[in-house]
Amino acid sequence: MTALFLLAALFVLLFIGVPVAVSLGLASVLTMLIFGDQSLVSLSQKFFHTMQVYPLLAVPFFILAGTFMTTGGVARRMVAFANALVGHFRGGLAMAALLASAFFAAVSGSAPATVVAVGSVMIVGMVASGYARAFAAGVICNAGTLGILIPPSLVMVVYGAITESSIGKLFIAGILPGIILTLVMMITVTVIARKQDMPRQERASFKTVVNTFREALWGLLLVVIILGGIYAGIFTPTEAAGVSAVYAFFIAVFVYRDITIHDVPKILVEASKITVMLMFIVANAYMFAFLLTTEQIPQMASELIVGMGLPVWGFLLVLNLLLLITGNFMEPTSVVLILTPIIFPIAMQMGIDPTHLGVLMVVNMQMGLVTPPVGLNLFVTAGVAKLSLEDTIKASFPWLLVLLAVLMLITYVPWISLVIPNLLLN
Amino acid sequence: MIDRLEEWLMAALLAFMTVLTFAQVVMRYVFNTGWVWSLEATTYSFGALVLIGMSYGVRTKSHIAADLFTRKMPKPLRRYVALLGISACLVYAVLMLYGSVVLVDRLMTLGNAARDIPAPKWLLTVSMPLGFALLTFRFVEGAWRLIRAGEGNTDDGRPHAIDEEAGGPEDKT
Repeated sequence: MTALFLLAALFVLLFIGVPVAVSLGLASVLTMLIFGDQSLVSLSQKFFHTMQVYPLLAVPFFILAGTFMTTGGVARRMVAFANALVGHFRGGLAMAALLASAFFAAVSGSAPATVVAVGSVMIVGMVASGYARAFAAGVICNAGTLGILIPPSLVMVVYGAITESSIGKLFIAGILPGIILTLVMMITVTVIARKQDMPRQERASFKTVVNTFREALWGLLLVVIILGGIYAGIFTPTEAAGVSAVYAFFIAVFVYRDITIHDVPKILVEASKITVMLMFIVANAYMFAFLLTTEQIPQMASELIVGMGLPVWGFLLVLNLLLLITGNFMEPTSVVLILTPIIFPIAMQMGIDPTHLGVLMVVNMQMGLVTPPVGLNLFVTAGVAKLSLEDTIKASFPWLLVLLAVLMLITYVPWISLVIPNLLLN
Repeated sequence: MIDRLEEWLMAALLAFMTVLTFAQVVMRYVFNTGWVWSLEATTYSFGALVLIGMSYGVRTKSHIAADLFTRKMPKPLRRYVALLGISACLVYAVLMLYGSVVLVDRLMTLGNAARDIPAPKWLLTVSMPLGFALLTFRFVEGAWRLIRAGEGNTDDGRPHAIDEEAGGPEDKT
């Protein structure tokens, strides 16, 4: 009854257009006042306490690092390097767009930010070289989802914080799935390019490859610092995020000199804005999760699901579908925050690895980013590519099949997510 | 004036948190020392940043909402739904304001000091009622605009809290 009211309240509020954060918060507060035995004070306390959860401190720092990287010409240099590497293949620019998205995902923890950074450089170039605008938009929109899979990843930070599992391990686990997804998308481009006889460019000289690599290196080093630092035990993921924000500032202002010191306040405001928007949702979702737990809803769900005697693959399939559906209506962080408290205990009982679960949830959320009605990447791509939302949805649709294939692979072959962390961390 | 102040405060808090966290790492490795109050100062700044920023987010329409369904509704209905929406936001803000005022009051009665910072805990938590008071103010403002719009004003009749497209600004996870 309580669970029903909580969920019904949430959906009615979302439906009438109340902001996601307020919907989560008000549904929790109302449910608590009507059914709960906790006080309003303990909910307020939970809200305030969210900002004291140590792993979540990484959120503002990664956002700040990403904002510095987006504003500076980091994406432009990564595109140049990617182009020097793969531009000479048929459909080379499209492949370069994919590769550049993968590079940029390694300095940004956000999918829409990756679309903006790479798309604003790449789409114009692709159209000028004779690619269809819709094709370019479809590639960028889907490649941008790599932003939450390739470390650093804000969704993984949130998942790690709420399940109290290692964020460093999650980051490292995202590497191989990220590479596989990039490769599968590049193969898809090759197949389409052969069929449609897409343009290719002249092979870049070895010197160009080296030069563009040197230019892009400063940006790419960010992910090396983050992963290396965490892996070597030099700092915690939160400290890694703080260090990467300072590093990104340093690179953008003093090395690349794309921005001056006078632009820094503007960037700080922009990053604060994004942080607040995300954390307002996260703090309310913590109240929501708190209520789920005090009302023992996860236990009930767990008993119900385990009692059904589903095999592990059956449970994973139900999970894929559930995440796919909710991912269509909410952005990734909210979905992870709301569903993880319910899913996690069940998955643990079924013997699923927490890191594998995190990776598969992220890949599942990537599909939500490119499906209407709340596919953030679609909105952002439509803006960057100057295409209508309807056309962007159509252009991005075929790529869903590629994402789906990779999702199946990652869901049912845990080895892909676990091989690198097990090799490095055990 | 107040608007600029919000921006400056947010930027300053974020910069402070970042520099402090970075300095802590440098201190540990280079000077083999550190400040005990550093982490607590960072987390309370983080809290203040988010709480002050909430109302700023309402003003700059940057909170994500799904307006897919409301946009398809006929105009008069949409106005009522928008009124309902902003009322929900107000109820939320007022309840949370009440909760946080009681929270601070309780902390005052307990009189505990913070763990590492030499200040009473309630003082560091004051950003919470302040943040929700500002949020309430912004929602009242939105509601007022919506009501006035119904009396033949040129405003398009949607409170800015629920005016935002799901797409908003470019950066979300």
